[in-house]
Order: sequence, then C-alpha cells, then structure tokens
Amino acid sequence: MGAEDAAEKALNLLRSRLCNPTFIFRPLCDSPDSNYSKLKFIVSSSITEACNNSVLLLGPRGSGKTAVLELVIGDLLLEHPDMITVIRLNGLLHSDDNSAFKEIARQLCVEHQLLFSKMASFDDNSQFLLAMLRECGLAHKTITFVLDEFDLFTQGRQRLLYALLDAMQSISSQAVVIGVSCRLDADQLLEKRVKSRFSHRKLLFLPPSKEDLQRLVEHVLSLPMDSSLPHHYAAEFNAKLQSILVDNRFQEIIDSYWDSYPAIRHLAKFLFRAVSSLNLDLGHLSLDNFKTALPSIKRQPKMESLRDCSILELYLLVCMKRLEVKEQNSYSFSAVIKEYKTIHDSFQTSDYFGQNVCRRAFEHLLQCGLIGFTDGRAHNQGIEFRPVKLLISPSELTQGLKSYNSCPALLLKLCA
Amino acid sequence: MAKEESPRVSRRSTRSATSTPTSNKITEGGTEEAVDLCSPSVSDLVYGDPISLDVLLSTFPGRKNQILDLIQLLGPLNSPTLPFFVYGGPSTGKTSVILQLFRHLNRPFVYSSFRTCYSLRILFESILNQLILHHRNAANGYSSAKRCDKPSDFVILLREALTGVIKSLKESVGKSKFSKSERPINGYMTYLIFDNLEVVREWGKASSLLPFLFNLYDILKIPEVGVIFISSTSPDMFYSNMSCVEPIPIYFPSYAENDLRQILLRNQANQKLYSSFLDVVLRPFCRITRRLDELCPIFATLYMQYCKPLSDPGAVPNEDMKRRLYSNLQPEISSALNEIFRVQSRSSPEAETSRKPEQIGGKRKLASSEKLNELDFHMCTSAKYLLISSFLASRNPATLDASLFDSTGGSDSRKRRRKSSDKVKAQQETAEEELLTKGPGSFPLERLLAIYQCLTSVAEGSPDEEAGPDDWIGIGGENNMLSSDVLLQISSLCNANILVKGGSCPLEGSTRYRCMVSEDLALKVARTLRFPLAKYIYRR
Repeated sequence: MGAEDAAEKALNLLRSRLCNPTFIFRPLCDSPDSNYSKLKFIVSSSITEACNNSVLLLGPRGSGKTAVLELVIGDLLLEHPDMITVIRLNGLLHSDDNSAFKEIARQLCVEHQLLFSKMASFDDNSQFLLAMLRECGLAHKTITFVLDEFDLFTQGRQRLLYALLDAMQSISSQAVVIGVSCRLDADQLLEKRVKSRFSHRKLLFLPPSKEDLQRLVEHVLSLPMDSSLPHHYAAEFNAKLQSILVDNRFQEIIDSYWDSYPAIRHLAKFLFRAVSSLNLDLGHLSLDNFKTALPSIKRQPKMESLRDCSILELYLLVCMKRLEVKEQNSYSFSAVIKEYKTIHDSFQTSDYFGQNVCRRAFEHLLQCGLIGFTDGRAHNQGIEFRPVKLLISPSELTQGLKSYNSCPALLLKLCA
Repeated sequence: MAKEESPRVSRRSTRSATSTPTSNKITEGGTEEAVDLCSPSVSDLVYGDPISLDVLLSTFPGRKNQILDLIQLLGPLNSPTLPFFVYGGPSTGKTSVILQLFRHLNRPFVYSSFRTCYSLRILFESILNQLILHHRNAANGYSSAKRCDKPSDFVILLREALTGVIKSLKESVGKSKFSKSERPINGYMTYLIFDNLEVVREWGKASSLLPFLFNLYDILKIPEVGVIFISSTSPDMFYSNMSCVEPIPIYFPSYAENDLRQILLRNQANQKLYSSFLDVVLRPFCRITRRLDELCPIFATLYMQYCKPLSDPGAVPNEDMKRRLYSNLQPEISSALNEIFRVQSRSSPEAETSRKPEQIGGKRKLASSEKLNELDFHMCTSAKYLLISSFLASRNPATLDASLFDSTGGSDSRKRRRKSSDKVKAQQETAEEELLTKGPGSFPLERLLAIYQCLTSVAEGSPDEEAGPDDWIGIGGENNMLSSDVLLQISSLCNANILVKGGSCPLEGSTRYRCMVSEDLALKVARTLRFPLAKYIYRR
C-alpha cells in the first residue's frame, strides 16, 4: 500500500513537471552563453541603467522561447521586486490594435491599482499608455512588453508596434519590448518606420546538443531525494532510471523520435505519454513504457483512415488512382463512377453498387480527407462534376491495401 | 440526441445514451432533478452517478484499449495533463466514451460541441455559463451570465471563472470528508472538452479560431485545467493552422465486424434470432460501410422483414427455420444494399398496407407501375415544363435547337450526322469526356425561355402526344404569353437547386444557368406530363 502510494505521488510529480515548461528548460539555462543569460542581461541592463531595449526571440515551435522568457522574468522579479511591470500580449488574441491597446491599459491598471474603464477609446488608451510610460520612467520602473506570436502583430497597419517602439525613442521612458515568434523572418515583416526604430537584436533558439538532451531527460525524470517521497523508493526509482538511460535501445528510441520532432516540447510530450503508462504496482519506469509510447505518439493518420475504409471506398480510391495513372489531369466523381463501371464490366466483381451508394461512399472519403476537391469555391455545383484529386500518394495506397485485413486480391492487382 | 426532457440532460446525452437501458435513463433524470431543486453548486459539473470500470468497459465493446489509454493519460487524481486530441471516424464512440469515462472518474468537466455552438459568441458564453453555474431560464430572460464575443475577452473571463471553480473545488475536497450532504467530486482538475472540432474548419473565421483553441492551454497557463479535443477528422487536417505543439493524439479506429455484431446484439430481445439475422446481413453490408449510424436504421427495417414469417417473436431458430428465413430475406437484401442511404419519406407501416393488395392481385401491376411514375414531390405544370426545357438546354448543344424545334432544319442535320468518320467519332468521345468532367452545359436565360415556349406550345397545341413534330410547331405560340409567373418559377427552381446560376459569360455579360437534374429524374418528370422527352435528347 505504501509503495503504491509513493508510486502515485511520483507519477503526479513527473506529470506536473512535464506539464510545466519552465521546469523543463531550467537545466539549459546555467551556461553563460545560453539564451537565458543573454536575455537576462538585456532586460536587467534596462532595469539598472534605465534605458530602452527591444529584442526578438526566434525559433521553431516548442524550442522554449516563452519558457526561457518566463524564467528570466521570474528571476528578475525576485531580484528587483517592484521594479518591473510585465505586460503580456498574444498575437492570437490582440492582433488588432484596438484590443491590444485596451489590453495594455487593462493590465497596467491591474498592476498599478488604477480603475480601468472598458469604455475608453483607442485614443484614450494610447494616451494613457504614453502617460504611464513617462510616469514609470520617472519612477525608474521598467515596463516589459511581451508580444507572443509577434508575426501576427505585423499583419495590420502596425500601429501598436509603432506606438511602442516610438515611445522608446524618448529618454524619459524605460521599457523593453520582447517579441516572440516562430517565423525566423519576423523582423522583415516590419514596416520601414517600425523597422528603423527596432534595435535588431535577435536571439535564435536552436535545438540542444545530444549531451544537453541527455541531461535534460535525466533532470526531468529522476526523483528528488530530499522530498516527501520515501528515501529508499526514490533511490530505487533513480537507479532503475539510470539503467534505462544508459541502455542503447533507449537511445535508439529517443533518437528516432528526435529525428522527426526536434523540439523539446515535443520530447516532453513523448515523455509524458511514456510516464503516464507507468505501472503503479511496479512503481518505476521500464523500457517498455517508452517503447509503447513511440508508436502511439508517431501516428500515421492517412494509413489509419485507409484502414477505416470499407471495401467499396477502397474500390473508389483504386479507380481514382487508375485515373491518375492515366494522366487525366482533372477528373470528377462521374469519371470515377465510369471507371468503376468498366472495372466491374471487365472483372465481374461482386461488389457492384448503385450510384447513390457510391456517392455516399465518395462523401465519406471526402470527409475523412483521403480525397479533396481541387477547386476552392464552386459550392453551387453538384458534387458529381467538381474536379477531385487523391490526397494520398499511390505508394501509400498500395501499402495501405496490403495492410488492410481482408482486401480483395483484385484490388491489389488493379492498384499495382 | 433524441432526448428532450430538460436542456441539461440533452446536453450531456449522446447517441449511445439512447440505446442504453431505460432504467439507467430514469435514474439520470432523477438525480438531475434533485440537483435542480437545490441551489447550483460545483457538483453540476460532473455527469450523473459514477459507474464502475467494468460497466464502462462492457458498455463499449471493442473500445477497451482506448478507454484504458485515456484513463492512463488522464492520470491519477489531481495530476496535470497535456491537451489531447481524440479522433476517429463518425460513430466510433468518441464522445460517448469520453463522457461516460468522466462519469466513471467523477471529475468535473465542461462540454461544448461546435455543432450546437455554431458561433464564437455562443461557444464562449456556453462555456462560461457552465463554469459560473448559470442556468438560462425564464427568470433571467434566457440570457447568458457574461457577454463576450472576442477571444481576448473570453480568455480573461475564462481565467476568472476557472480559478473560481478550482478554488471552490479545492475547498469542497477538504470539506467533503466531514459533510456528506453533497455528492463528492473527485479532485479539482477541471477539463474543457471541445467536441466536433471538424466543423470549425468550415467556418469562415477558422484561420484565427483554430490556432487560438489549440493554444488555449498555453495561453491559460493554469495547470489545473485539461483540454480535450474531439474530432472526426484526423489531426493532419488541422496541421496547417495548428500553430502550436500538437496535442497528444488518441485514435478511435472504426469498429471491426465482430465489434459491430456485439454492439448490434446489445438491447435485442431475442438474441439468438438476431444473431442468425446478423449472420446473413452483416457481411454484405460491411463491404459498403462500417458506420453504425448508417447500418442501424437499415438493419431495423430488414429485421422486421426477417421476422415477418414468424408467428412467435421469441422463438429460438433452428437450422431449418434459419434457412427458410434466409431465403425469404434474400431478395430484400440485394435491393436494400442499393438503397442503403436512401431516406425514407413515408412511415413504413403505411407503405406496408398499400403494398399488400398489390401482391395479392396480379392485375394491379399496372397501377403499381403508374405509382412508380409518380413524383415524390409536388410541382406545378409550368415548373415541370421549365425543368424539362432547362434539362434539354443543358444537355443538347445550342446549335441543334433549330433542327429539333423547327420542322425545316430537322432533316438537314440528320443527313449531316450520318456521314460520321473516325475523326468525328474521336470528336464525340472528347465531347463525352467533357460532359463527364465539366458537367451539364450552361445556357442563357433567353434560350431556356425559347425552348420553354416551344415545348408549351407543343403541349397545348396537341393533346395527342403521338403526333409528329411537323404538325404542331408554331400553332399555339401566340396565346402562350410569357408571364412574370414563369420568371418566378425559374427563381424558385434556382432556390431548389435544380437550376444553378453560373458565372456570367464574359462576352455577353448575362447570367448563365445550368440544370443539375439527372436524366432519370427528367424522364420521370416528362412521364408525368406525358411528354416524349426521349425524342428530344441529343445522343452522341
């Protein structure tokens, strides 16, 4: 009973670690040339030297841009309490200037215990922002603007970016603008007037090296020795974990996953899947957990939907494939039906159904995304005459047919 | 979907709930009412009385792996979780499994489906209403607790509501050890379930909403919240606008034949008889579709046919009887296979009574064939003529109109057609291909009206449809005025999607129409008018 209790506690701990990006990225932050140190230097210099700064954090999704930023902000809030105000905006939510200014005003009001008016106009809000920047500059308080999904802010007339970066040209203000984007060319999207006011500082987030990765996995999965968990249990768990980590097969699994998803958040997802299958009776991780997690994370949706098809739907797919082999660049449902009929006429299959039935099967295929219309619009025309195409490659189709449970031999022959 | 007792019950019911035993439903309704009587509390966020794992597994045959998988991913009590993405074809039990699973776990959740929440505002407000425990009723004028239609406002309100709910859940967890007046809830993890995500792809605003939803977990940054997406299309259809680390995929494969048998056998009174029925029908129908929602209605009618010769519905079939029943059903199956997706407009008992006398008297055959000729829908005569003339205008080349409707041009063209060389044949083939790919041809309004006038003048001029074409051309034309009624009919045909307005011709600038009616239907309509349509269709 006690062991199982400890195991559940350990499982909870591991799961909450994996759901917490700031914990995952902590070990990558200690080296002096890490992005963490660079970013911390930039922000803290603006706090201590009362200057303005702007920086872009660029990198692929899941590479830890936001997590590192959160770590920096958290640490600086501890070091310099009451010196920083953090305003967070997200391009997905505040990409239009109106709501962005409103959100800034709201967060500033919350931060400084002021009364926020929902009815304030765009002009009021931007005036308020400038006034606040000046006031905070005089009080030597730094305002940090975090613009997540930075590329989305560049879509409109970029009034927000201009207003922020323009305000930072004056000496009286003391602010940092940090843009976070997964578009590496995000600074090229800026208008000329905005670009000239931007500092062009960029921090690039690259995938970590193999050694760092190893360190990270160990850091995330090993249990702390000085917690509420029983000491002997944690020691046993960690010993088991060590034996897995040095195992070559484990390395292979991690490598094969890392090859297709080279981002740490993806790895965390994989580890989460593995950890959640932890056997509570056993009480520690085993290699099997990782082995089973790999195929359940790396899915092949097209193959799965092929396996879900009925025989009739497979017939239609094969017909379409034959039409494509014949180099008909554009064909529609009626052409597919014609091909289906000729197949039936020449081979006398038992699976011959009326046009109504075929049409419904065709709609199923459209629904599950194995085929698609080539024209975007043209909704007024009936399904029969709209040009379609296969959304899977011929080799995928043959492979899918081979793995299908009771696929008629004729289909395989026709598809070859 | 079929239940409509109270709004809240129907919200949490799924298709499988209608097939579960009725006693279950009554207890569900009872508890809901009991909850309604007392003031709203957080216990509204859980679903019915908890059920055991065994019951859960036995309610969903063939879904054991998925259920165990989900339980593992949801994890033990109060453990945070990454978002997941549950997908699989329609009617594979995604929604019911998830809802019943939460019933088993007895954890709080907020369910919203994009089928019912068809706009951003409705979605946001329904989620907030559930979290704030606000019920729309006559007292508050059926209004929502909060007004919000922008994602930015929604996030603020949602964060507020979620923290409130989680706080009260945490308090109740501490309290429930002492007081047992309220039904205890397991844990304070609150889950947001978004169903029918595939519908959003059709929305105009999909490009901005989908990334927002997928990022919701990261935006909220509340570890006590789990996000679950349910979709009938695979995640790769969303990749283009996911814009975040993909959620953990969980796949519901479509049912295999064995699973289908088990599911269909549930809730059948006479298991043996039904199983022998399934022996006969399941295999051929599985070749067409393995979707339960399509198989169920067709099997219901077929089973009635199957049982008809039996005097005692509770009889246990032996080999001989099975064979007899099978031979009885055999002809029905093949016709049903080709009608599997047809929607039956009339209720079946009526059709039964009308069919019986036909079977007895062979003489009635004529009447029954006439009945086949009848249309299932009502149309006025002028609309029928319009339909036929538009069909002709779509099918026949415009150059042939003169020869078809004019007595002088007819013989001329026929002579020309006789001299068909190989080259002409090749041309015809390409034209045929074109018909297949491009669909029916388009025509200007003037041509449709001209043909219409020709046809109606024919019909009025000669009630005897056997008369030759030369006799009646141009007789009754003058008293057949083109009234505005005809134009009205054209617009109503357009609304019925029989005529389709195409793009305008770049040279002429007028709108062009095309007729979307199949040849069978056109011939059927012509037969009701006793109009010899076949004569006019140009065969290549």
